[in-house]
Amino acid sequence: MDDAALLAKARRGNEDAFSLLFERHQRQIYRYGAYMCGPHAADDVVQDTFLAVLRQTGRSDTPGGSVRSYLLGIARHIALKRLAAAHTPLEEPADEANDELASADPSPLETMTRSEMSGAVRRAVETLPAAYREAVVLCELQQLEYEEAAGLMQCPIGTVRSRLHRARRLLAAKLGSAL
Amino acid sequence: MNPHDDNRDRPLTGALRRVAEDDDTAGASPAVRARLLNEVRSIARARRRTSSISLAAAALVMLGVGYMLWRAVGPSADGTPDTSTAGVRAEVTTPFFPLISTTTPLTSTHIVRIEVPRRALASFGLAAAEAAEELSSGTVLADVAIGDDGLARAVRFVRPSTPEEKQP
Repeated sequence: MDDAALLAKARRGNEDAFSLLFERHQRQIYRYGAYMCGPHAADDVVQDTFLAVLRQTGRSDTPGGSVRSYLLGIARHIALKRLAAAHTPLEEPADEANDELASADPSPLETMTRSEMSGAVRRAVETLPAAYREAVVLCELQQLEYEEAAGLMQCPIGTVRSRLHRARRLLAAKLGSAL
Repeated sequence: MNPHDDNRDRPLTGALRRVAEDDDTAGASPAVRARLLNEVRSIARARRRTSSISLAAAALVMLGVGYMLWRAVGPSADGTPDTSTAGVRAEVTTPFFPLISTTTPLTSTHIVRIEVPRRALASFGLAAAEAAEELSSGTVLADVAIGDDGLARAVRFVRPSTPEEKQP
Protein backbone atom coordinates (compact mmCIF):
# COMPACT_ATOMS: atom_id res chain seq x y z
CA MET A 1 0.00 0.00 0.00
CA ASP A 2 1.42 3.39 -0.90
CA ASP A 3 2.11 6.16 1.58
CA ALA A 4 -0.79 8.34 0.48
CA ALA A 5 -3.30 5.54 1.08
CA LEU A 6 -1.72 4.79 4.47
CA LEU A 7 -1.92 8.46 5.40
CA ALA A 8 -5.59 8.66 4.45
CA LYS A 9 -6.39 5.54 6.48
CA ALA A 10 -4.34 6.70 9.46
CA ARG A 11 -6.29 9.95 9.52
CA ARG A 12 -9.48 7.90 9.73
CA GLY A 13 -8.15 6.14 12.84
CA ASN A 14 -6.68 3.00 11.29
CA GLU A 15 -3.93 1.83 13.68
CA ASP A 16 -2.28 -0.60 11.28
CA ALA A 17 -1.99 2.01 8.56
CA PHE A 18 -0.55 4.50 11.00
CA SER A 19 1.98 2.00 12.36
CA LEU A 20 3.21 1.21 8.87
CA LEU A 21 3.47 4.86 7.91
CA PHE A 22 5.25 5.65 11.17
CA GLU A 23 7.76 2.83 10.67
CA ARG A 24 8.54 4.01 7.16
CA HIS A 25 9.27 7.62 8.02
CA GLN A 26 9.90 8.19 11.70
CA ARG A 27 13.66 7.55 11.55
CA GLN A 28 14.22 10.14 8.87
CA ILE A 29 12.22 12.71 10.80
CA TYR A 30 13.98 11.75 14.02
CA ARG A 31 17.42 12.27 12.44
CA TYR A 32 16.38 15.58 10.95
CA GLY A 33 15.03 16.71 14.33
CA ALA A 34 18.12 15.51 16.16
CA TYR A 35 20.53 17.35 13.89
CA MET A 36 18.50 20.53 13.60
CA CYS A 37 17.27 20.91 17.20
CA GLY A 38 19.49 18.56 19.17
CA PRO A 39 19.05 14.91 20.17
CA HIS A 40 16.99 15.89 23.22
CA ALA A 41 14.33 17.42 20.94
CA ALA A 42 14.18 14.69 18.30
CA ASP A 43 11.38 12.73 19.99
CA ASP A 44 9.31 15.89 20.26
CA VAL A 45 9.84 16.73 16.59
CA VAL A 46 8.67 13.25 15.57
CA GLN A 47 5.66 13.38 17.87
CA ASP A 48 4.62 16.89 16.85
CA THR A 49 5.04 16.08 13.17
CA PHE A 50 2.80 13.03 13.26
CA LEU A 51 0.28 14.71 15.54
CA ALA A 52 0.02 17.59 13.08
CA VAL A 53 -0.46 15.13 10.23
CA LEU A 54 -3.17 13.19 12.08
CA ARG A 55 -5.01 16.33 13.08
CA GLN A 56 -5.09 17.74 9.55
CA THR A 57 -8.15 15.63 8.89
CA GLY A 58 -9.55 18.13 6.43
CA ARG A 59 -6.67 17.53 4.06
CA SER A 60 -6.79 14.73 1.57
CA ASP A 61 -3.73 15.74 -0.40
CA THR A 62 -0.01 15.64 0.29
CA PRO A 63 1.26 19.01 -0.90
CA GLY A 64 4.57 18.91 -2.71
CA GLY A 65 4.20 15.39 -3.99
CA SER A 66 5.55 12.57 -1.84
CA VAL A 67 4.41 11.83 1.67
CA ARG A 68 8.07 11.84 2.72
CA SER A 69 8.48 15.44 1.55
CA TYR A 70 5.19 16.34 3.19
CA LEU A 71 6.26 14.86 6.53
CA LEU A 72 9.72 16.40 6.35
CA GLY A 73 8.13 19.73 5.47
CA ILE A 74 6.05 19.62 8.63
CA ALA A 75 9.08 18.50 10.65
CA ARG A 76 11.03 21.41 9.21
CA HIS A 77 8.30 23.85 10.18
CA ILE A 78 8.36 22.51 13.74
CA ALA A 79 12.16 22.61 13.84
CA LEU A 80 12.27 26.20 12.59
CA LYS A 81 9.85 27.25 15.32
CA ARG A 82 12.08 25.63 17.90
CA LEU A 83 15.18 27.26 16.44
CA ALA A 84 13.49 30.65 16.45
CA ALA A 85 12.46 30.15 20.08
CA ALA A 86 16.09 29.34 20.88
CA HIS A 87 17.22 32.50 19.03
CA THR A 88 19.09 30.50 16.38
CA PRO A 89 17.18 31.32 13.22
CA LEU A 90 17.93 29.60 9.94
CA GLU A 91 20.10 32.30 8.41
CA GLU A 92 23.10 31.89 6.22
CA PRO A 93 26.18 33.37 7.91
CA ALA A 94 28.39 35.90 6.16
CA ASP A 95 31.60 34.59 4.54
CA GLU A 96 33.87 36.08 7.22
CA ALA A 97 31.90 34.23 9.85
CA ASN A 98 32.59 31.03 7.93
CA ASP A 99 36.31 31.61 8.26
CA GLU A 100 35.91 31.94 12.02
CA LEU A 101 33.84 28.81 12.21
CA ALA A 102 36.41 26.86 10.20
CA SER A 103 39.29 27.86 12.41
CA ALA A 104 38.36 25.49 15.22
CA ASP A 105 40.95 22.87 16.10
CA PRO A 106 40.66 19.88 13.79
CA SER A 107 40.02 16.44 15.25
CA PRO A 108 42.69 13.79 14.64
CA LEU A 109 40.40 11.40 12.79
CA GLU A 110 43.16 9.03 11.77
CA THR A 111 43.59 7.88 15.37
CA MET A 112 39.88 7.26 16.00
CA THR A 113 37.75 4.17 15.87
CA ARG A 114 34.74 4.22 13.57
CA SER A 115 32.34 5.11 16.35
CA GLU A 116 34.65 7.82 17.61
CA MET A 117 35.01 9.19 14.10
CA SER A 118 31.26 9.11 13.55
CA GLY A 119 30.85 10.95 16.82
CA ALA A 120 33.36 13.59 15.74
CA VAL A 121 31.67 14.05 12.36
CA ARG A 122 28.29 14.23 14.04
CA ARG A 123 29.49 16.88 16.44
CA ALA A 124 31.04 18.82 13.59
CA VAL A 125 27.76 18.72 11.69
CA GLU A 126 25.89 19.86 14.79
CA THR A 127 28.12 22.90 15.13
CA LEU A 128 27.47 24.09 11.58
CA PRO A 129 25.23 27.14 11.15
CA ALA A 130 21.63 25.95 10.88
CA ALA A 131 21.26 26.79 7.19
CA TYR A 132 24.36 24.76 6.26
CA ARG A 133 23.53 22.00 8.70
CA GLU A 134 20.15 21.55 7.07
CA ALA A 135 21.73 21.17 3.64
CA VAL A 136 24.14 18.52 4.95
CA VAL A 137 21.42 16.65 6.82
CA LEU A 138 19.06 16.54 3.86
CA CYS A 139 21.52 16.02 1.01
CA GLU A 140 24.36 14.08 2.64
CA LEU A 141 22.85 12.22 5.57
CA GLN A 142 19.31 11.70 4.25
CA GLN A 143 20.41 11.41 0.62
CA LEU A 144 17.64 13.55 -0.80
CA GLU A 145 17.93 14.79 -4.37
CA TYR A 146 18.82 18.46 -4.61
CA GLU A 147 15.45 19.20 -6.15
CA GLU A 148 13.54 17.65 -3.25
CA ALA A 149 15.83 19.35 -0.74
CA ALA A 150 15.30 22.69 -2.48
CA GLY A 151 11.55 22.17 -2.29
CA LEU A 152 11.77 21.48 1.42
CA MET A 153 14.19 24.32 2.11
CA GLN A 154 12.06 26.63 -0.01
CA CYS A 155 15.01 27.96 -1.95
CA PRO A 156 16.49 27.50 -5.42
CA ILE A 157 18.62 24.45 -6.16
CA GLY A 158 21.62 26.75 -6.61
CA THR A 159 21.24 27.90 -3.02
CA VAL A 160 21.18 24.29 -1.84
CA ARG A 161 24.38 23.61 -3.76
CA SER A 162 26.16 26.67 -2.43
CA ARG A 163 25.12 25.95 1.17
CA LEU A 164 26.29 22.40 0.81
CA HIS A 165 29.59 23.54 -0.65
CA ARG A 166 30.21 25.93 2.22
CA ALA A 167 29.09 23.34 4.75
CA ARG A 168 31.57 20.82 3.39
CA ARG A 169 34.34 23.39 3.48
CA LEU A 170 33.60 24.08 7.11
CA LEU A 171 33.37 20.37 7.93
CA ALA A 172 36.67 19.67 6.21
CA ALA A 173 38.31 22.43 8.19
CA LYS A 174 36.80 21.22 11.45
CA LEU A 175 37.68 17.59 10.91
CA GLY A 176 41.26 18.25 9.90
CA SER A 177 43.89 16.77 7.68
CA ALA A 178 42.65 13.21 7.97
CA LEU A 179 40.05 14.06 5.39
CA MET B 1 26.33 10.99 -7.64
CA ASN B 2 27.16 13.85 -5.36
CA PRO B 3 29.02 16.53 -7.34
CA HIS B 4 31.39 17.00 -4.43
CA ASP B 5 32.77 13.51 -4.80
CA ASP B 6 36.07 14.51 -6.34
CA ASN B 7 39.32 13.12 -4.90
CA ARG B 8 39.68 15.98 -2.43
CA ASP B 9 36.21 15.54 -0.96
CA ARG B 10 35.98 11.78 -1.04
CA PRO B 11 37.15 11.23 2.58
CA LEU B 12 34.56 13.69 3.86
CA THR B 13 31.86 12.05 1.77
CA GLY B 14 32.92 8.66 3.13
CA ALA B 15 32.84 9.94 6.70
CA LEU B 16 29.35 11.39 6.18
CA ARG B 17 28.18 8.12 4.63
CA ARG B 18 29.39 6.22 7.68
CA VAL B 19 27.58 8.62 9.96
CA ALA B 20 24.42 8.14 7.92
CA GLU B 21 24.80 4.36 8.23
CA ASP B 22 25.42 4.58 11.98
CA ASP B 23 22.42 6.86 12.39
CA ASP B 24 20.21 4.53 10.38
CA THR B 25 18.84 2.70 13.40
CA ALA B 26 18.22 5.82 15.47
CA GLY B 27 14.55 6.52 15.90
CA ALA B 28 11.83 7.80 18.16
CA SER B 29 11.33 6.22 21.55
CA PRO B 30 8.53 3.69 22.14
CA ALA B 31 6.74 6.31 24.26
CA VAL B 32 6.31 8.52 21.19
CA ARG B 33 4.86 5.66 19.23
CA ALA B 34 2.49 4.79 22.10
CA ARG B 35 1.37 8.40 22.43
CA LEU B 36 0.67 8.63 18.71
CA LEU B 37 -1.20 5.33 18.67
CA ASN B 38 -3.41 6.70 21.45
CA GLU B 39 -4.14 9.67 19.23
CA VAL B 40 -5.08 7.36 16.35
CA ARG B 41 -7.39 5.41 18.68
CA SER B 42 -9.04 8.61 19.88
CA ILE B 43 -9.61 9.60 16.24
CA ALA B 44 -11.24 6.21 15.62
CA ARG B 45 -13.42 6.63 18.73
CA ALA B 46 -14.44 10.13 17.67
CA ARG B 47 -15.36 8.86 14.22
CA ARG B 48 -17.44 6.07 15.70
CA ARG B 49 -19.18 8.55 17.99
CA THR B 50 -19.87 10.85 15.06
CA SER B 51 -21.26 7.94 13.05
CA SER B 52 -23.50 6.90 15.94
CA ILE B 53 -24.78 10.44 16.38
CA SER B 54 -25.46 10.72 12.66
CA LEU B 55 -27.33 7.43 12.68
CA ALA B 56 -29.34 8.46 15.73
CA ALA B 57 -30.15 11.81 14.11
CA ALA B 58 -31.25 10.06 10.92
CA ALA B 59 -33.38 7.66 12.94
CA LEU B 60 -35.00 10.56 14.80
CA VAL B 61 -35.77 12.34 11.54
CA MET B 62 -37.29 9.17 10.13
CA LEU B 63 -39.34 8.67 13.29
CA GLY B 64 -40.51 12.26 13.10
CA VAL B 65 -41.51 11.95 9.46
CA GLY B 66 -43.20 8.64 10.20
CA TYR B 67 -45.12 10.17 13.09
CA MET B 68 -46.26 13.09 10.95
CA LEU B 69 -47.40 10.74 8.20
CA TRP B 70 -49.18 8.59 10.76
CA ARG B 71 -50.90 11.67 12.13
CA ALA B 72 -51.89 12.64 8.60
CA VAL B 73 -53.29 9.33 7.41
CA GLY B 74 -53.74 7.35 10.62
CA PRO B 75 -56.86 6.91 12.76
CA SER B 76 -58.49 10.11 14.01
CA ALA B 77 -59.18 10.81 17.66
CA ASP B 78 -62.78 9.63 17.44
CA GLY B 79 -61.70 6.18 16.30
CA THR B 80 -62.82 6.58 12.73
CA PRO B 81 -60.27 6.88 10.00
CA ASP B 82 -59.42 10.38 8.91
CA THR B 83 -59.24 10.29 5.16
CA SER B 84 -57.68 13.70 4.79
CA THR B 85 -54.26 13.23 3.26
CA ALA B 86 -52.21 16.14 4.53
CA GLY B 87 -49.04 14.88 2.92
CA VAL B 88 -50.65 14.86 -0.51
CA ARG B 89 -53.35 17.49 -0.38
CA ALA B 90 -54.55 19.25 2.77
CA GLU B 91 -58.28 18.94 3.37
CA VAL B 92 -60.84 20.30 5.76
CA THR B 93 -63.42 17.88 7.02
CA THR B 94 -66.61 18.39 8.96
CA PRO B 95 -67.43 16.16 11.92
CA PHE B 96 -69.23 12.93 11.06
CA PHE B 97 -73.01 13.38 11.01
CA PRO B 98 -74.97 10.27 11.96
CA LEU B 99 -77.30 9.00 9.24
CA ILE B 100 -79.24 6.47 11.32
CA SER B 101 -80.01 6.23 14.97
CA THR B 102 -78.82 2.99 16.54
CA THR B 103 -77.67 1.80 19.92
CA THR B 104 -75.57 -0.96 18.41
CA PRO B 105 -71.97 -0.03 18.88
CA LEU B 106 -69.78 -0.04 15.83
CA THR B 107 -66.95 -2.52 15.96
CA SER B 108 -65.42 -1.37 12.71
CA THR B 109 -66.27 0.86 9.81
CA HIS B 110 -65.22 1.32 6.25
CA ILE B 111 -64.93 4.72 4.74
CA VAL B 112 -66.06 5.29 1.19
CA ARG B 113 -65.44 8.59 -0.49
CA ILE B 114 -68.16 9.73 -2.84
CA GLU B 115 -69.29 12.84 -4.61
CA VAL B 116 -72.70 14.19 -3.60
CA PRO B 117 -74.65 17.14 -4.89
CA ARG B 118 -73.50 20.30 -3.16
CA ARG B 119 -77.04 20.97 -2.02
CA ALA B 120 -76.73 17.92 0.26
CA LEU B 121 -74.76 20.24 2.57
CA ALA B 122 -77.95 22.07 3.32
CA SER B 123 -79.49 18.89 4.79
CA PHE B 124 -76.91 19.11 7.56
CA GLY B 125 -77.19 22.83 8.10
CA LEU B 126 -73.89 23.52 6.41
CA ALA B 127 -75.08 25.63 3.55
CA ALA B 128 -73.95 28.95 4.96
CA ALA B 129 -70.63 27.70 6.18
CA GLU B 130 -69.68 25.78 3.07
CA ALA B 131 -69.68 28.19 0.16
CA ALA B 132 -73.32 29.08 -0.07
CA GLU B 133 -72.73 30.83 -3.35
CA GLU B 134 -72.02 27.50 -4.98
CA LEU B 135 -75.04 25.67 -3.64
CA SER B 136 -76.89 25.81 -6.87
CA SER B 137 -74.49 23.68 -8.83
CA GLY B 138 -71.65 21.22 -8.62
CA THR B 139 -70.75 18.48 -6.21
CA VAL B 140 -68.83 18.12 -2.99
CA LEU B 141 -66.80 15.25 -1.60
CA ALA B 142 -68.17 13.24 1.26
CA ASP B 143 -66.77 10.39 3.35
CA VAL B 144 -69.44 7.84 4.19
CA ALA B 145 -68.81 5.51 7.12
CA ILE B 146 -70.29 2.07 6.44
CA GLY B 147 -70.76 -0.37 9.27
CA ASP B 148 -70.16 -4.12 9.30
CA ASP B 149 -73.82 -4.59 8.45
CA GLY B 150 -73.34 -2.68 5.21
CA LEU B 151 -75.45 0.26 6.31
CA ALA B 152 -74.25 3.84 5.92
CA ARG B 153 -73.87 5.10 9.47
CA ALA B 154 -72.40 8.56 9.15
CA VAL B 155 -71.21 11.10 6.66
CA ARG B 156 -68.80 13.99 6.68
CA PHE B 157 -67.99 16.54 4.04
CA VAL B 158 -64.57 17.26 2.69
CA ARG B 159 -63.08 20.20 0.86
CA PRO B 160 -59.51 21.20 0.03
CA SER B 161 -58.07 23.60 2.56
CA THR B 162 -57.31 27.18 1.56
CA PRO B 163 -53.70 28.49 1.79
CA GLU B 164 -54.63 30.40 4.95
CA GLU B 165 -55.89 27.19 6.56
CA LYS B 166 -52.63 25.43 5.73
CA GLN B 167 -50.68 27.88 7.88
CA PRO B 168 -49.74 26.31 11.20
